[in-house]
Amino acid sequence: MNLDETKSVDLQEDELPGLHNSSSHRSISSNSLRANSIKEVGFVDLRSKEVRYGSRGGSNSMSMSRREISDEDSRLVYINDPLKTNEKFEFSGNSVRTSKYSVLTFLPRNLFEQFHRVAYVYFLVIAILNQLPQLAVFGRFVSILPLTMVLLVTAIKDAYEDWRRHRSDWIENNRLSSVLVNDSYEQKKSKDIQVGEIIKFSANETIPCDIVLLSTSDPTGVAYIQTINLDGESNLKTRYAKQETVSRIHNNEKINGVIKCEKPNRNIYGFLAYMEIDQKRVSLGPSNIVLRGCVLKNTSWAVGVVVYTGMETKVMLNNSGAQSKRSHLEARMNREIIFLSFFLVGLCTVVSICAGVWLRRHRDELDIMQFYRRKDYSGEDVDNFKYYGWGLEIFFTFLMSVIVFQIMIPIALYISMELVRVGQAYFMIRDDNMYDETTDSRFQCRALNMNEDLGQIKYVFSDKTGTLTENKMEFQYASISGVDYGGEKTDFYEEQGGYFAQVDGLVLRPMMKVRVDQELVRLSRSGNDTKTGKQIYDFFLALAACNTIVPIVVDTSDPVEKLIDYQGESPDEQALVYAAAAYGFMLIERTSGHIIIDIHGDRQRFNVLGMHEFDSERKRMSVILGCPDNTVKVFVKGADTTMFNVIDKSLNLDVVRATESHLHSYSSIGLRTLVMGMRELSSHEFEQWRSSYEAATSALMGRAGLLRKVAINLEKNLSVLGASGIEDKLQQGVPEAIESLRTAGIKVWVLTGDKQETAISIGYSSKLLTSKMTQIVINNNSKESCRKSLEDALITSNAPRTSTSGDDGSLIALIIDGTSLVYILDSELEEQLFELASKCAVVLCCRVAPLQKAGIVMLIKKRTDDLTLAIGDGANDVSMIQKADVGIGISGQEGRQAVMASDFAMAQFRFLVPLLLVHGHWNYQRMGYMILYNFYRNAVFVLVLFWYALFTAFTLSTAINEWSSVLYSVIYTSVPTIVVGILDKDLGRTSLLQYPQLYGAGQRQESYNSKLFWLTIADTLWQSIVAFFVPLLAYWKSDIDGPSIGDLWTLAVVFLVNLHLAMDVTTWNWIIHASIWGSIVATIICVIIIDCIVILPGYWAIFHLAGDGMFWICLIGIVVASLIPRFVVKLLVQHYRPSDVQIAGEAEKFGAIIESRSAEIEMNQHHT
Amino acid sequence: MSNPATPMNANAPSSSSGGAGSPDSAPRRNSKRPKYSRFTQQELPACKPILTPKWVISAFMLVTIVFIPIGLASLFASRDVVEIIDRYDNACLQGSKSEKVQFIQSNANKTCVRSLTVRKRMKQPIYVYYQLDSFYQNHRRYVKSRSDSQLRNRGDENQTSDCKPENDANGMAIVPCGLVAWSLFNDTYSFSTGSNQQLPVNKRHISWKSDREDKFGSDVFPKNFQNGSLIGGGRLNESLPLSEQEDLIVWMRTAALPTFRKLYGKIEVDIEAGETINVRLENNYNTYSFSGKKKLVLSTTSWLGGKNNFIGIAYLAVGGLCLLLATTFTLIYLVKPRHLGDPTYLSWNRNPGGH
Repeated sequence: MNLDETKSVDLQEDELPGLHNSSSHRSISSNSLRANSIKEVGFVDLRSKEVRYGSRGGSNSMSMSRREISDEDSRLVYINDPLKTNEKFEFSGNSVRTSKYSVLTFLPRNLFEQFHRVAYVYFLVIAILNQLPQLAVFGRFVSILPLTMVLLVTAIKDAYEDWRRHRSDWIENNRLSSVLVNDSYEQKKSKDIQVGEIIKFSANETIPCDIVLLSTSDPTGVAYIQTINLDGESNLKTRYAKQETVSRIHNNEKINGVIKCEKPNRNIYGFLAYMEIDQKRVSLGPSNIVLRGCVLKNTSWAVGVVVYTGMETKVMLNNSGAQSKRSHLEARMNREIIFLSFFLVGLCTVVSICAGVWLRRHRDELDIMQFYRRKDYSGEDVDNFKYYGWGLEIFFTFLMSVIVFQIMIPIALYISMELVRVGQAYFMIRDDNMYDETTDSRFQCRALNMNEDLGQIKYVFSDKTGTLTENKMEFQYASISGVDYGGEKTDFYEEQGGYFAQVDGLVLRPMMKVRVDQELVRLSRSGNDTKTGKQIYDFFLALAACNTIVPIVVDTSDPVEKLIDYQGESPDEQALVYAAAAYGFMLIERTSGHIIIDIHGDRQRFNVLGMHEFDSERKRMSVILGCPDNTVKVFVKGADTTMFNVIDKSLNLDVVRATESHLHSYSSIGLRTLVMGMRELSSHEFEQWRSSYEAATSALMGRAGLLRKVAINLEKNLSVLGASGIEDKLQQGVPEAIESLRTAGIKVWVLTGDKQETAISIGYSSKLLTSKMTQIVINNNSKESCRKSLEDALITSNAPRTSTSGDDGSLIALIIDGTSLVYILDSELEEQLFELASKCAVVLCCRVAPLQKAGIVMLIKKRTDDLTLAIGDGANDVSMIQKADVGIGISGQEGRQAVMASDFAMAQFRFLVPLLLVHGHWNYQRMGYMILYNFYRNAVFVLVLFWYALFTAFTLSTAINEWSSVLYSVIYTSVPTIVVGILDKDLGRTSLLQYPQLYGAGQRQESYNSKLFWLTIADTLWQSIVAFFVPLLAYWKSDIDGPSIGDLWTLAVVFLVNLHLAMDVTTWNWIIHASIWGSIVATIICVIIIDCIVILPGYWAIFHLAGDGMFWICLIGIVVASLIPRFVVKLLVQHYRPSDVQIAGEAEKFGAIIESRSAEIEMNQHHT
Repeated sequence: MSNPATPMNANAPSSSSGGAGSPDSAPRRNSKRPKYSRFTQQELPACKPILTPKWVISAFMLVTIVFIPIGLASLFASRDVVEIIDRYDNACLQGSKSEKVQFIQSNANKTCVRSLTVRKRMKQPIYVYYQLDSFYQNHRRYVKSRSDSQLRNRGDENQTSDCKPENDANGMAIVPCGLVAWSLFNDTYSFSTGSNQQLPVNKRHISWKSDREDKFGSDVFPKNFQNGSLIGGGRLNESLPLSEQEDLIVWMRTAALPTFRKLYGKIEVDIEAGETINVRLENNYNTYSFSGKKKLVLSTTSWLGGKNNFIGIAYLAVGGLCLLLATTFTLIYLVKPRHLGDPTYLSWNRNPGGH
């Protein structure tokens, strides 16, 4: 123990110069760190980067480890010595704070954040302008009311959310965990845990901080964890404690050592460190660390030392929100808003210039004019009263008119839009048709600002595996030593309930049943005496052993029967192991040192001497087994492209040839293929490998690269064992969904990493490709040949085809592979590819790298205004999901990285149909209408104010009460537009699904375009003229007072605006009724209340007005006369140019026959 | 609607066994399945009105039927109103503008006599209005220059901050303060028939009852009014509370438009056609400085108010237009009918393959 201590002191002294250095360097390093974190906008981005450079992972990790060695980028953790650990550096405690505010900081911070929005700044500027005495148009209180209300509502919402975060933080921080203090474990609150402490936790406990495993209940130091809180993956992952520490904990010895590890970072898949213990350096990697939020499973206890705490844990560092995209419609809308602001400036200019002219013409009269009185005679000197000269008066008039006409810019629209989107999201999330029973997951809206884009999609880019397919692999075919098995399949379990093994009186069964080939079963049972038997034995041994699957024993209702659940990260491996089990090679136990395989009832133990894990460059993995017969064998499994390079073809050329042809036929029916190889190692070879392997594993620099070299040296001259064909089933409803999308005029592109044959066969089975289509295939290895095939293809595509139009024969399918894309993307050939692709109905890209997926999305995005949607489920789809206008993540088997990067997430590809065709259509139509309506609603009111300004000597006094002008957009007219924006349906779900072509309305921008905008503006002008001039002329030369006619205008405009909306509502349910009629009633009540305030000039005006016949006649006349032109135009359009949506709506109501047929379709949609 | 629950439940056990195999996550009792309701599935019972020809034509006909009678009625009502308008500002005072202004500001006798001929029988009550043109009672500077709390409450006498520049005179608060009160109209009229019979003008209850009772205090008396160096208009009887100063109350209900009338009083006898009315007026009010017009208006009233043909014409126009539209659309629907909901009209059916 003493020795250990001196050692650590030594170590510390060793570090001291470094530390001194570091203090001078620290600022630099922290800068570079910050620069890093800026580059890595989000965790997702980092992942995509990693994926992007995946093939060069070696150099990357080399540089990582080089960086790791420098002192300023590392932290030292003295095991079980938190005092010393925290001496030099103040590591943060383990308390977490996800809340944004405290009681003190809430007000300033929240306001600061809120004023990041342009809308609020506009409100604020207007309110401030109004406070200047020269410009006081509205009263103090009235002018700040709208802003205060908006701020208040948002603040309350934020405060509530933050309070919930505070509460969950408090719960998190006060959870108890047992911490080693003075050689015994004590319960300690989570927030008091410090770096360097040793903590112990038991099964099903959530880990409170990032720890390096020291020991577990398993003698080999294995712990199983579930990372569902971290990345959503529910399968178990294995973590290992180092042998050096495992035994010490088991023997209750004290551990003294030091861990040098990276500074906290957000990469949850990486960890670089080494541990100095007993003067030995032990390297630590991502498999030795357990992160905060993980749950310990199937391990009764584990002990670890804390390395990162609190906000520095990897999961907390990853808590960054999704990046924001802006909706297309909103971008378009902003253009129109710019126009409206010009219009506003125009109105203000007219008013101020007229005011100037008026002042000029009356300049000699102003002094004593009763209603102007420029001169103030009350003081000793007669001076100007509130008159600042001609120029300034014009300027002030201009500013005042901006204040009066402020709602011309429909700032409240942004807030309404947010509310509407929340409402729309509510319905999308709760849609029964987008709920997946098997994964128990609902639709998720992760981004709340692009609902309406879903209605305008023209391109869908889809991943294949896990998106079109289920990513649930099923073993189908085996080719063993050139013999193809798997022709006729029978259900094995019909016979005797599937393969099972009996261990200690327990019956073990694999959890998943696999259909097997009878012939192969018979052969495999026959033992490994014959040559074929031997080959089959090796093949299944490879399947059962060469993987990273962990068998987990699960209890069943029957106490003697247990199920074996194979947990692993790769679904392919799971399928292979289940297949091996079904053929009698059942993997029963795996530790870091050995595996136990039950081979036809015979338990055999194999020592795992080493393992080279899969990497994307080698595209294969290998395991070195010490067999019971004392031979050492290396089993390799990998993709055919790389496997045939390392197979010794001289050994058995026929078998290789036969295997190759089998592989070809497997992939052409859409199966995923893997090739198995094997080699027996001589003791010399083994020793050679072992020394280099050990050197590589303990290397601190470039460990990954060294390991890869060792692996490549080992994986050569293999003899081929065979190949497997795994079926990845199409997801339910995919062909129908693709057909619907294509009928809807959406181009579906499939981007996959699979082989061309696999991709094409999936294309056929998903109805993406039909046999009638003309296929253009481009797979070239040089730029020149790419250019040539593109040119040829363009000629083909331009050639007039003989087939009749409307037939699939005229359609072209383009199939292009990743290698060609390397030469085409980012070069001048892009243009040709785009030209070609835009002529094709279907585009299939195979063998594409993740970055190329994004590149293809950009190819379209850069050249058209069409909206793109990317859908995928894996980390390799992240870049494309982020690049596309709308990104959708499939929450499937492959973890949650795609979901984290996405704007929307769902469980099944087929949900795309209701999402786009139904919700997308509705959202787009609702939002488009809402924007136009809001423009109209505000402009009509502003124009009425403007016309009145022309009759007040351009002084902007308003007849309409200032309270009414403020409440106009807050109470009088706000609710119906939001309710209609959430609830109105132009068409029912059934029609939209029955006629996918109706989706074209969104693609053609039928609900929002400049034509509609200008029509709306013209209509607005007419309506405002009617609403203003009818009362004006009716009451001209009468004794009407300002507030009374103001009330008339208020009511007229509010009635008009609400009835205008009522005229455009298609589906009247009770909520819409309530909101529209309720708004009118609310307005009347508000006007009455305002007119009951004695000290306002309008006291009692409304009651006088209501007794006057003229008032009612005006009101009715205004509403009718204003709406007639709109109504007539609507009728004419409906009669002469009926839109698809309109006809479908009529059919919905009158076409009973169509109705029942489509109901049937919907039922199928539900039940299949 | 559809009820997919039954077939799907069959899968439930197998799906739960696909979990992690840990004892705590095995039973999924609280499924995330959205609770079915017609609201969340957006299937609330709803009415979907469609513009069928029947509806369209009936709507237009309805408007026609309602609007034309109202239009005719208001035209007739307006025609029955007898209105005598006499512009007297220039008739009573001739000369250049500066002369007129000088005269009107002087203390000279400003009495002026006008005689009006009644062309049609006027039934009582005959309303006497004064009409001002180009007088912007809705001017921003003017409209705000008043203190409503001062008018109402004796205690708020000094709340005159809004009243500038007529807030105080000689260091004391003015009651009622502000430009509006200061510029009180002060021409007076008295009427007699051709046979020299006095026509009494009833000036009681010419203002709103609500104003007299609530807005103008019965204990607030004019104070320090028109004591400044520039007289804007009429003076007030300091012994009467504001609530009884009806001319002021009428004046202070500021007009909406630059051309306006205000009620002066009522003549409560009928005047026969052909009779002459002699008006003796005190031409005190200064509209000369800004070339405003002053008119005296005698008018009977109808159910619709004064003489104004606009509403009648407008209603007839709208009603006529709707009649026209109704016939037009009837013709359109007859000549070129369109079957509602006919799928052949759908764009992809009209030009196949063109989607």
